[in-house]
Amino acid sequence: MSDPKIDGFELKPGFRGMASDTGSDQTMFKGVHWGKAMMWIFLLSDTFVFSCFLIAYMKGRGSTPVEWPNPSEVFALEAFGVPVPLLLIALMTFVLITSSGTMALAVKYGYEKNRKMCGWLVLATAIGGLTFVGMQAYEWSKLIHEGVRPWENPFGAAQFGSFFFMITGFHGTHVSIGVIFLFIYAYKVFAGHYENGGKRGWFTTMKGDYVEIEILGLYWHFVDLVWVFIFAFFYLW
Amino acid sequence: MSDEYENKSGYQAQSSETLTGSAGSTPDIDYVRPAELPEQDLYHGHTFITKWVFCQDAKVIGVQYFLTAVFTGIVGLILSWLMRLQLGFPGLAGFITAEHYYQFVTMHGMIMVVYFLTALFLGGFGNYLIPLMVGARDMVFPYVNMLSFWMFFVAVAVLMASFFVPGGPTGAGWTLYPPQTILEGTPGSGMGILLMLVSLALFVIGFTMGGLNYMITVLQARTRGMTLMRMPLTVWGIFTATVLAMLAFPALLVSAIMMTLDKVIGTSFFMPTILKAGEVLEYGGGSPILFQHLFWFFGHPEVYIVALPAFGIVSDLISVHARKNIFGYRMMVWAIVGIGALSFFVWAHHMYVSGMNPWFGFFFATTTLIIAVPTAMKVYNWILTLWRGNIRINTVMLWCLGFIVTFVNGGITGIFLGNVSVDVPLSDTYFVVAHFHMVMGIAPVMVIMGAVYHWFPLITGRLLNETLGKWHFWATFLGAYSIYFPMHYLGFIGVPRRYYEMYDSPYMTSAVGMNEFISLAAFLVGAAQFILIFNIIKTLKTGKPAPKNPWKANSLEWHTSTQPPEHGNFGERLPVVHRWPYDFSVPGAKDDFIPQTTPPSEVVHTKVEKT
Amino acid sequence: MHAGIIFFLVILGSILFHIFTPWYWTDIASNWKGMDDTITLTFWVGGGVFVAVCLFMIYCVFKYSYKEDRKAEYKPEDKKLEKILTVATTLGVAALLAPGLIIWNQYVNVPKNSIEIDVMAWQWGWQYRLPGNDGKLGTTKVVNINDDNPFGINLDDPYGRDDVMVQSDIINLENNRPVKILLRSVDVLHNWYVPQFRAKMDAVPGVVTYYWFEPNKVGEYEVLCAEYCGVGHYAMRGGVEVQDPNSYQQWLGEQETFSDLLAKQNKEIETKKVAKNNSKIEKVIYKEEK
Ligand code: HEA
Ligand code: HEA
Ligand code: CUA
Ligand SMILES: [Cu+2]
Repeated sequence: MSDPKIDGFELKPGFRGMASDTGSDQTMFKGVHWGKAMMWIFLLSDTFVFSCFLIAYMKGRGSTPVEWPNPSEVFALEAFGVPVPLLLIALMTFVLITSSGTMALAVKYGYEKNRKMCGWLVLATAIGGLTFVGMQAYEWSKLIHEGVRPWENPFGAAQFGSFFFMITGFHGTHVSIGVIFLFIYAYKVFAGHYENGGKRGWFTTMKGDYVEIEILGLYWHFVDLVWVFIFAFFYLW
Repeated sequence: MSDEYENKSGYQAQSSETLTGSAGSTPDIDYVRPAELPEQDLYHGHTFITKWVFCQDAKVIGVQYFLTAVFTGIVGLILSWLMRLQLGFPGLAGFITAEHYYQFVTMHGMIMVVYFLTALFLGGFGNYLIPLMVGARDMVFPYVNMLSFWMFFVAVAVLMASFFVPGGPTGAGWTLYPPQTILEGTPGSGMGILLMLVSLALFVIGFTMGGLNYMITVLQARTRGMTLMRMPLTVWGIFTATVLAMLAFPALLVSAIMMTLDKVIGTSFFMPTILKAGEVLEYGGGSPILFQHLFWFFGHPEVYIVALPAFGIVSDLISVHARKNIFGYRMMVWAIVGIGALSFFVWAHHMYVSGMNPWFGFFFATTTLIIAVPTAMKVYNWILTLWRGNIRINTVMLWCLGFIVTFVNGGITGIFLGNVSVDVPLSDTYFVVAHFHMVMGIAPVMVIMGAVYHWFPLITGRLLNETLGKWHFWATFLGAYSIYFPMHYLGFIGVPRRYYEMYDSPYMTSAVGMNEFISLAAFLVGAAQFILIFNIIKTLKTGKPAPKNPWKANSLEWHTSTQPPEHGNFGERLPVVHRWPYDFSVPGAKDDFIPQTTPPSEVVHTKVEKT
Repeated sequence: MHAGIIFFLVILGSILFHIFTPWYWTDIASNWKGMDDTITLTFWVGGGVFVAVCLFMIYCVFKYSYKEDRKAEYKPEDKKLEKILTVATTLGVAALLAPGLIIWNQYVNVPKNSIEIDVMAWQWGWQYRLPGNDGKLGTTKVVNINDDNPFGINLDDPYGRDDVMVQSDIINLENNRPVKILLRSVDVLHNWYVPQFRAKMDAVPGVVTYYWFEPNKVGEYEVLCAEYCGVGHYAMRGGVEVQDPNSYQQWLGEQETFSDLLAKQNKEIETKKVAKNNSKIEKVIYKEEK
């Protein structure tokens, strides 16, 4: 974000700047809020979680002797009587990416101290996320209806169902948690917890600040990015 | 509630003088950049519950972690007694059936590695020492920190509950290799394994909350003048271990989730087609080796997660008690970081004979042996710190010396195992058991003991009894060494590990006497721990009060406003740091130590090399 | 003082224990002498370093223990010394690694003239299968296994018919003839391990793993299971008898082949079973090939 001013310390760009930040006292990432640094590191850890899932998926898919189902058939959706491959997924992806956009705007208005806009945008993001979860639930029920189960699969390898439900389920849990927090944060923005030096909110008993919107935003963008990978691995491979 | 946040302790904001740098009266050489951040705002509990139960003070959380971990450690110790009872004197205790034996082995291994050592080093020492040593008021997210402990507590409760469910705890070996883990024929393959997996997942979640705290506190909340290269090695060790944990635990979490699904809803991630009792099971198509890769991607960094904090702490203890700066501090830091980084590239050395593609052996043998080089540098630097020092041979130093002996011994046997073709005959034998007990079961435990004797005065304000301490040390060191040194030879003659009973074969019968001896030593060592417990209780009741900074150490934890430190650690003003923590015996200085907070202007006449 | 003496005695005791120990490895009975040699080499290098480090430490304890009037040396760093030590250690490690890798290279490359032996493990026992006159083992599937087909050989595989079946946990081997052990398991992990042969490898359900060795001492040996496989793990033993070529051939001649076994059973029942089995195979996902 904007470059912070730090007394007695000159921020330099590039590798040298990084080295001098590292070599200095007090903070390593100059001007970065604690919560934000925490979120970055949490996301790094979470990246490892998803990588493990996806690597396991690649290994599982690579080594089953039974044929892997054709994604564009399994995930096709009837629209006006024609099966359109990947229609639902495209919609889901679209919704999620859009919600990332609204989130980014919310952060911007947050820093501009525009409480109303920020609140509405956070709310919009939450609704986007909820829509995504809803569509995912629909897709799950469709597949289950067609007989796909975590332990078996009429279209081919049983591992398809296992990995699909596990990984999208895990991602969906991330989205759902995000949605819950988005609603809470929307409420907090409207209630003015982040205004005027901040109020003690419930939960962490810490003073609020609009930076929290940005932190939540980081999480939300990450969940989005992961979806892109899942999308590529499950639907396009 | 809001009154609790009022500025009661008076340090909510630093005075403008400290915020803008030193006032003009002190000379320029004392200049330290002004504070970048305003004071941390802290929650001061008032009721018993907020002060001691759901407490947000890292020091209390540290002690909570410590006590819980020691409790699990004692459970693990008792389990090891039961195992040794069976191994040394088979049949003597009739209630130890093979099922029970395997449950003991599994729970012993898992408890000791994860719930005892990891929690003790990172949760216990990490929480207590990091904020104090880097000069912070507290961890950066005290609330999350509190949650972290309670998550760990629940994980321990779930783990202990598994002793009481039908079928008992899991007996799958701490490595939990499928398919055997979740199939009948393995004890506790029902509820036991499920609770184990749940407990591990909870542990990982709880640890993540704590780990974020440790990392951000070190990275973003150091005091003025505290650069990374002025941090005590204890902090470096715990910090690097935390980084490893944040990146390694995901693999454990994922494998636990996948195995739970295999168990509960019948997926086949790790389960190939299996024929049991003439019936083909519902499983098919999965890969057991995949689990091993995931497990060891976690498991190998895990062993360094317990080793690195021990390395860090022991460096500090040696330096303080040898009255000499740690030799080659820079090298020590780089070695810690290097070992940490390399540890992600060696995991398959546990799988040389697992049936993975044998060509991996070349790669992993090479990386494994490369790790020996930075580790060796650390060993050399420890003994070179002793060299030309002024060594106090007190209890703390004895534990450090014991650590060096056992660690080098265990490290060298690690070299045997890492060298792939040497591992072939030794893998899965008692040689491996001896290796990892030497290097993990006793070396870090020695450091814990040393650390307890060292920091006890800080935490409680009283000095532990030295005589009892020495008895405790010699009983533990000599006993533990005589357990594990001979055990290597059991491995040479080919006795496999995880054998409930082993005397059928002629060459194994020759070792009956040795096994009895080992068991007796194990009982002795376990019993010796009660000396420490007795010592602690006695000291708390009647021990002599410790003077402030009794060991004449330099690092910040000894220079707090009160001893034991209060909530907020440093009283009104945060300390300002001017040097590394190892300025011992500086030529020209009055005392043989110069605390980190001493400004250069006060010691101009000395020949300090680094500041 | 006392501390230094006790530590010294511990080190001395360790050395003496190593010299006089009655417990050392069993006499080797295979070609993997190289493994023993590498261990010995590692012992000398590693043991030397261990003793040297500890003696230096003990020396420091004697020489530099606390005196009120002494001041420790102040020397934060010695770049040259550290460099020398790093280089020396790297060389030492490389010297240990090189022979290890050379032997591993032999271990993973099976000689052409070795006989293949199919070792099948289950909870908790072993059985063995040898190629017949055609020198090839037939392919197998776990789901084929039943009382009439104890190895689960694919009935339509012509190589399988003459396979020699040893339905006992004892196997005979020909002296001085390399064997390639092909390991498979029908349930969980196991490991076919004979301490005297030094070599081992896990049997993993779902895949076939292998290793090889050349027995070179006539005699009987005990097989141990070296990978934890449930409560019966410690009791999962088997046997190997290494024989000279003549006795071996004689023993081989006495064994039953798969076609013998099939012939013993009623042909018609058999064919029905084949049909049934084949339809079952298609449903089950399983790959078991070399
Ligand atoms: C704290 C824990 C800890 C530590 C630090 C280590 C350190 C090392 N370990 Fe260990 N290990 C375990 C805990 C640990 N290990 C555990 C728990 C298991 C078993 C798990 C299970 O299966 O249940 C295990 C198993 C294990 C195996 C698998 C064995 C098998 O199952 O077949 C291997 C193989 O490579 C190995 C190797 C090493 C090596 C090379 C090191 C190196 O890092 C050691 C480096 C140190 C030194 C070398 C000493 C100091 C150096 C010098 C003084 C310099 C001079 C030296 C030379 C020139 C040689 N270990
Ligand atoms: C840190 C890890 C740790 C520790 C400390 C120990 C301690 C001990 N272990 Fe353990 N052990 C393992 C980790 C550990 N072990 C693992 C990972 C396995 C593999 C499991 C598997 O195969 O699945 C194993 C397996 C194992 C076996 C092999 C079983 C088998 O393969 O069949 C044996 C056999 O003798 C054994 C014995 C002992 C003994 C006698 C002790 C001790 O009694 C030795 C002495 C210990 C101490 C002196 C420290 C005790 C201190 C405390 C408990 C805390 C007290 C602290 C305070 C009061 C502050 N252990
Ligand atoms: Cu079979 Cu152990
Ligand atoms: Cu390892």
